[in-house]
Amino acid sequence: MAFNWFKKENEETAENNAAVKKHYLSGKEIREIAKANQKEMRRLEKEKNRKADPSEYTTEMKDDGNILEVDGLHSYFFTDQGVVKAVNGVTFNVPSRSTVGVVGESGCGKSVTSMSIMRLLQGPTGQIVDGSIRFRVSDYKLDEKGKHIPVYERDEDGNVIMETVLDKNGNPVLDKDGNEVQRGRQLVDEHGIGVFEQEEKVYDIAKMPIKEMYRLRGRQMAMVFQEPMTSLNPVFTIGNQLDEVSLLHIPGATKETAKNRSIEMLNLVGIAMPERVYASYPHELSGGMRQRVMIAMALAGEPRLIIADEPTTALDVTIQAQILDLFNDLKHKINSSILLITHDLGVIAEMADYVIVMYAGRIIEQGTASEIFHKPMHPYTQGLQKSKPTMKSSEAQLFNIPGNVPNPVNMPNHCYFKERCSQCIGKCSGEYPGMVQVSPTHYVACHLYQDSVKEEE
Amino acid sequence: MVKYILKRLGVSILILLGVSLILYTLLRCMPTDFVEQKILALTTGGAEVQKEMEEKLYAAYGLNGTILEGYWTWLTNIMRLEFGTSFINGREVLSELFSADRLGTSFIVAAIATVFEFLIAIPLGITAATHQYSLRDYLVTVLVLIGISLPSFFFGQILKNIFAIKLDWFPVSGLKDAGVTYATAGEAMLDYLHHMCLPVFTVVILSIGGRMRMTRTNMLEVLNSDYIRTARAKGLKEHKVIYKHAFRNTMIPLVTGLAGLIPSLFSGAMITESVFDLPGIGSYALKAMTQGDIPVIMTYNMFLATLSVLGVLMADLMYGIVDPRVKLS
Repeated sequence: MAFNWFKKENEETAENNAAVKKHYLSGKEIREIAKANQKEMRRLEKEKNRKADPSEYTTEMKDDGNILEVDGLHSYFFTDQGVVKAVNGVTFNVPSRSTVGVVGESGCGKSVTSMSIMRLLQGPTGQIVDGSIRFRVSDYKLDEKGKHIPVYERDEDGNVIMETVLDKNGNPVLDKDGNEVQRGRQLVDEHGIGVFEQEEKVYDIAKMPIKEMYRLRGRQMAMVFQEPMTSLNPVFTIGNQLDEVSLLHIPGATKETAKNRSIEMLNLVGIAMPERVYASYPHELSGGMRQRVMIAMALAGEPRLIIADEPTTALDVTIQAQILDLFNDLKHKINSSILLITHDLGVIAEMADYVIVMYAGRIIEQGTASEIFHKPMHPYTQGLQKSKPTMKSSEAQLFNIPGNVPNPVNMPNHCYFKERCSQCIGKCSGEYPGMVQVSPTHYVACHLYQDSVKEEE
Repeated sequence: MVKYILKRLGVSILILLGVSLILYTLLRCMPTDFVEQKILALTTGGAEVQKEMEEKLYAAYGLNGTILEGYWTWLTNIMRLEFGTSFINGREVLSELFSADRLGTSFIVAAIATVFEFLIAIPLGITAATHQYSLRDYLVTVLVLIGISLPSFFFGQILKNIFAIKLDWFPVSGLKDAGVTYATAGEAMLDYLHHMCLPVFTVVILSIGGRMRMTRTNMLEVLNSDYIRTARAKGLKEHKVIYKHAFRNTMIPLVTGLAGLIPSLFSGAMITESVFDLPGIGSYALKAMTQGDIPVIMTYNMFLATLSVLGVLMADLMYGIVDPRVKLS
C-alpha cells in the first residue's frame, strides 16, 4: 500500500525538488537505478532467508522497562525511480503496558514503521536496510529435540505428581515388563490447555531470518489493520480464521479448545451472539463488527504488543468511538502495550500515553501526550495542532500547512520541513537537525531549540 | 435453488431459439450452398443441368423457400425430434455426429488434454506468481507465451515431422495402425493411446498458456490483497498462506472456468484433428461446413450452443458453491 503511495507522490512532487532539475529519468539512469536496486535487493532477500543461529539475533534491552526499542531503523523501497527512504532513521521506545501513538500525514512512514516491526514489508522492493528493532518476547523453551517442555504439577514438597499414561481407549499403556507407564502430570490453565515452560528473551527483529518471525507474529506481536472490510479472507468463516491463531500458537491446542478460546475472544471484544458470528462469513458482518473480529484475532495469541495501524480510519464516527472505547477498555484488561498509528490527533489525545510525530520518514518530535498537545515545539506539530477543527473556532476555513511533503527520492540534506516552515532561521539551510531534549521525556528535532538548550546549560 | 435452475433453463430455451434463428440465417446466407456445389460438380463432369432440374434439387434439399420458411421447417422438424439426414451421404445426422468413434475421439482428446492443461498450468501459474519478477517467472512466462503463439497446424506438423517421421516414436496419423489385429483389449487400448499422444500434446501446449496466465494474474491479485497480509500477520507459514488462504481464492475463477469448458470438451479440435487425420467431430464439422451440409452444421452448432448455455449455468452454480459471497436466487 505505502509503496504505491510513494510512487505516486514521487511523480507529483518531482518538480518541486531542487535536487532533481528535470522531471524525467533518461534510459541510462533508469538502467543504472535498476542495476543498483537488483544488487541490493538480492543481498537483502538472501539475508532474510538465511539460516541463523539464535545467538545472532538475541540481544539485550537498553532499558528493561521497555517492551520494544526501535533504534535507527531505515526501511527503504527500491523503486524504478530510485530508492525511497520511507523510514529514515527512526528511534523510539515502547514501554511495557503503555500506549504509544504515532502521528503524521499520509506517506510519512508510520505504516512502514509498523510493517517493519512485523517484518511484513512487501519484498523484494520493500526492505529493512539498517537499524535494530529489539523486542522482548516470552518464548517457549525447547528441549534438545526441539519440543516444548511441559510444566508439571507439583505437590507441597515440590515433587512432580505422576499419572498413568492412557492410550486412546482409556486403557493404561504397559511397558515391556507389564508395568503401567508413569509420567508427570502437566499443569493445565483455566482453558484446559497444557502449560509449557517459557523464558524471557530479547530478539533483534531486524536481523531475524523471516522463518523465525512466524513464531513471533500473532503470538508475541499482533496487528490490527486499517481496512476491516478487506482484511478478512472472504472464503473462510470467522471461526476458521480465528481458530487458526490458537491452533498455530498454543502448543497442544485442539479444535475444541481453539473454538472455545475464539468465542471467548469474540465475547471480550463485545460481540453479542459470538456463536453466530463464529459461524458466519466476513461479508455477513458490518465494518465495525469486522474490526472487532480483527481485534479479537489480534488478542487471541495473547500478544505483548498490539500494533493498531489506523484501526478507525475506514469506520464511521460512531463506530470509531466504539472501537476506541474498546481499545481503552482492553488496555486495562490485557497485559500488553499498544502501538497506535493514526493521522487523527483526536484519537491520539484519547488513547496515547506517549506520542511520536513523524514527518517524511523521520521522527521530528516525541514526548508524553500532554507535552505534545499542550506544549508543541516543532513548527510542524504546531501546524498540525492549528489545523485541527475545534468546537470554539469560528473561522470558515481551517488552517493548513502550505506546500507538500518533499520528494522521497533524493531527500535534501537540510531539515525536510524547511520549505514549508513559517519560522525558518538561517541555520535551517545547514545539516539535518539532531534531536534536542527539552524536558526529561520531550525531544524535538528543530534548529530553533538547539541554541536555547545550550544557553540553559 | 430448484426454482432458480428452472428459471434459468426456461431462459435458456429462449436463448437457444434465438441462436438457432441466427445460425440458420447465416448458413443460408453463405455465398455458396450445397446444391450449387453439386451442380458445379455435375457440370465440370460434362453433364448439363436444366433449370427444372436445379429447382427440383433445391426443393429436394428444402432450400427453395425463403430463409424464414426454411427455418420454420427446420424448427418444426426439431420439435418432432427429427434432426434430418446429411446432405452429403444421406445418413441420419444424429448417428453420424454422435457415433462413439467421432464424438468419442474428440472427447477423449479434449478430456485428457484438459486434465493435463490444469495439472501443468496451475502449478506453473502459482510458482510464477509467488516468485514474481524472478528468473523462474520470466522463464515460465516466455515459454508459455511461445506456446500461445504457435498456430496448431504449424506446431502439429512440426511435432509430426520430428516425433513421427524423423524419430518414429509415434504414429503419423489416424487412430490405429492399418491392418493390425489386436490380441487383447489392453493392447488395443495401448495402441489407441499411442496414437493419441501427439494430438493431445499439441492441444495441451497450445492451451497451457492462457490458463497459466490466468492463474498467475489471479494469484498475484490475491497475494496483494489485505487478507493475505492478515494471514501473514497471524504467524502463518508462507506455505500455508499460499496454499490455504491464497489458493482457495485463486481457485474461484478457475473452478467456474472449468464449467465453462464443457462445450470445448465436445466441440473437437478442428485443426488439430485435421492435421493428425483423426475422425473426430471437429474435422467432420469442418468438412460439413465447407460443403454447406445444413442439417449437420445446424445440429452440431445447436449441440454446442446447448452445452454452452448449460456450461454457463453450471459455472454460476459453481460460484454459489465455491464462493460464500455468492447467493443464487
